Amino acid sequence: MIALVRLRLAGFVRTGVALAPVLAGLLALGVLYGGGRAQPAEAYAVSAVVLFPVLAWQTKILLDVEPDVQRRLAQVVLGPARERAAGLLAAAVAGFGTVVVALIFPWLVGGVTGPTGPGDRAVVVGVALGVWVHLLALPGAVGLGALASRAITRSAGYGVAVLAVGVVGALVLGLSGSAVPWLAPPLMPAARALTGHPGPTTGVLLTAWAAAWATAALAGYAWGRRTRP
Amino acid sequence: MRLEGVWLRYQRRAPWVLRETDVRIGPGEVAVVLGRNGVGKSTLLQLAAGVLRPTRGRVVDRPGVVGWVPERFPADQPFTVGAYLTAMGRVAGLSGPEADRAVRHWIDRLGLIRFHGVRLPQLSKGTAQKVGLAQALLRPPGLLVLDEPWEGFDATARELVPEVVGEVLAGGGAVLVSDHRGETVRLPGARHWTVADGTVAEEAPAGDAAVAVVELAIPAAGVAAAVARLRAAGHHVLRVREPAALPSTTRPASVPPADAVPTADAAPTAGSVPPGGPVPPGGPVSSAGPVSSAGPVLGSEGGLERGSGAPADAGNGELGGPTPSSPARGAPAERDLTRPAPEVTR
Repeated sequence: MIALVRLRLAGFVRTGVALAPVLAGLLALGVLYGGGRAQPAEAYAVSAVVLFPVLAWQTKILLDVEPDVQRRLAQVVLGPARERAAGLLAAAVAGFGTVVVALIFPWLVGGVTGPTGPGDRAVVVGVALGVWVHLLALPGAVGLGALASRAITRSAGYGVAVLAVGVVGALVLGLSGSAVPWLAPPLMPAARALTGHPGPTTGVLLTAWAAAWATAALAGYAWGRRTRP
Repeated sequence: MRLEGVWLRYQRRAPWVLRETDVRIGPGEVAVVLGRNGVGKSTLLQLAAGVLRPTRGRVVDRPGVVGWVPERFPADQPFTVGAYLTAMGRVAGLSGPEADRAVRHWIDRLGLIRFHGVRLPQLSKGTAQKVGLAQALLRPPGLLVLDEPWEGFDATARELVPEVVGEVLAGGGAVLVSDHRGETVRLPGARHWTVADGTVAEEAPAGDAAVAVVELAIPAAGVAAAVARLRAAGHHVLRVREPAALPSTTRPASVPPADAVPTADAAPTAGSVPPGGPVPPGGPVSSAGPVSSAGPVLGSEGGLERGSGAPADAGNGELGGPTPSSPARGAPAERDLTRPAPEVTR
């Protein structure tokens, strides 16, 4: 399975299609950090929200870059479960790379600052919370991108529609006062939490929420692929 | 492996492509899937290979290693031939050195050496198909599924398919192959599954009535003796001709060593040549005039233990009239050696 992950990542990088989401991500981060300096945790919280559509799009591109017949060849060799898992794992690895860039980027452009007041978090804590909030966004983004992939939607138009509806839904349903916030991954609640001082319980709940949402999305992908090799 | 009560349709409320399909194939067996375009041959093959999941019913006892050669190899990938095959070998579970060895073997065997560093999108259709064949064989498959494997192949490569099939069968594997060009004459002894109207029916084997055509290259000095021996052995000699160009040596797996013509080993042995048109009993044996050092080529029918009964087609004109040429590197005679043709009659 690891060999298939490598093969898919190599295809993703060598075709050049990886450039599009990377450039989009850098553009979004440039806009985000171009306006001034912020505390790491708060900056990273917004960064995770901004990167969610980029990560989902990147996942869709990675899964779509492989020809359909090649995907079926891999399924014959590895079996359906491992073929699908390899695709998701490759998307997660690529997404993790983007997250690393997002974590480093603000330090390169001076977008974050250390503690300036008595109530400010230490830089290490801020970075740790930043890693956590990005990793909270990544599985949901991979799940959404997988649901938008060509293997499921069978057409570029439906794929873009699924991606757009999923991203807009994640942001709108996550707004404070939403009637059904649990329908969306906890991006906005996590961002709001990081502007304050969330306790361990909040962290655990948000993590469980993100895990449940990602599990539901990935289960939907696996169910859809049963009849869509 | 068995397909038990398999039904398949591609979407809910779509028409059934296959209904109540019950077929089985065992180790060492080869089955040819026949049928018109669009009747579901590829669907049946993909069900067997594990690409498609039955809507109803089940597929049981599928071997652990399955090789699938799709009808069109997906060449739109950013890899070289060598890198792609090595990666597929690793995906199939081979270690690095094992994958390298397997890739070298099949690249050499399928004539892909000069394409090793060529990127897949730059390959011709036939060469890409060879890569597709190679990836299915990197691990010896327990089930080899070939979807129109002759499509796009040149004369030499077409001869490789029955060789590969024979090796898989000899290794205890099973082979499923679809064909709509009559090329399965190259697979004598194959079972025939016919797909029509959503159902799969197995045709009874043609048995002793089936014929196959073998061409042999022998030293010129031994022609008369060889013809006499072949006729004495009950074979039907169709003609003797000049060897304008010979394809690479081939020997169908199911054919016993060429003991019918002991001198055959002294010269290259040609592949099967199905001549066309009725052949009178005890057919003409004509001298081809001046012969080259390779000796004349002698067409003989009935030399196979198990005939295929599949359609054969026209030879190179002497008996069957001219035939449309297929892509080949050699002279017209070489093209003719590999063409399928209409029925051969005794």
